[in-house]
Amino acid sequence: MSERAKLLKEIQEVGFTMDDLLLYLDTHPLDQDALKAFAQARERRYQLTREYSGRFEPLTLCQVCPDTNNKTGTFTKYPGQKHFTWSDGPLPWDNQGGV
Amino acid sequence: MWTYEKRLQYPVNITKTCPKTASLIISQFGGPDGEMAASMRYLSQRYTMPCKEVAGLLTDIGTEELAHLEIICAMIFQLTKNMNAQDAQTAGFDAYYVDHTAGIWPTAAAGVPFNACEFQSKGDAITDLFEDLAAEQKARSTYENLIRITPDPEVREPLKYLREREVVHFQRFGEALEKLKTDLDAKNFYYFNAEFDHKR
Repeated sequence: MSERAKLLKEIQEVGFTMDDLLLYLDTHPLDQDALKAFAQARERRYQLTREYSGRFEPLTLCQVCPDTNNKTGTFTKYPGQKHFTWSDGPLPWDNQGGV
Repeated sequence: MWTYEKRLQYPVNITKTCPKTASLIISQFGGPDGEMAASMRYLSQRYTMPCKEVAGLLTDIGTEELAHLEIICAMIFQLTKNMNAQDAQTAGFDAYYVDHTAGIWPTAAAGVPFNACEFQSKGDAITDLFEDLAAEQKARSTYENLIRITPDPEVREPLKYLREREVVHFQRFGEALEKLKTDLDAKNFYYFNAEFDHKR
């Protein structure tokens, strides 16, 4: 598994943790353990996505930053040129995210 | 509004072309208990939902269903992207191929096109939540039907994940229904339409 695939898998895992806790907290807004777990997952996800968008393509529009994205030049048509990095990376529905 | 995150909620990596399987799982895209109907059901119902927390839950589950729709479409795409004309003659996919080639289009497995009548938005909080609970169970049954007849583990794993989410959504809607009943007239919450007769 490539470095990119490993990191993306970690983002998927922590993203799922947040997706599941979101629905739980919608119906249990005072559950302190769940609030703590949500805060931990959010922090972890923030760190992972920041690392990911620096090394590879940005996953959200808010992470698009041509100066800092995709330092490894992976899946881009414009390596070494300042460009709009939103179009970098494979399409999500391609096999294994194009790994 | 919505923003897009450029990844699938659950990974899909199908390496074997199989239009027959695509023709069956497409029901969870455009079929009667599919993800499109699910998403549109919840996102349509939420506006008149009298309980703010329940309207929020409808938004969040409706949003997750869009991610599920994307997973199903990714599966159909990967099952058919390398097919040749001979593969396309597979029983069950031949008729679809004639009209759509390998394009993704919402339909039930039996060929009935997606139709808004697959879901209800009744404008009555109790009615709509019972509809939602039933919908999650119907989707679970459909995933189980698909899993029973699908041998390829690359197809089974995402289907198993999606089935589990139906179970979780059912649980959350059950909690939402209890919350709503507590907020309404606890002596007789079936007596009136909380979205229309008793403006709060």
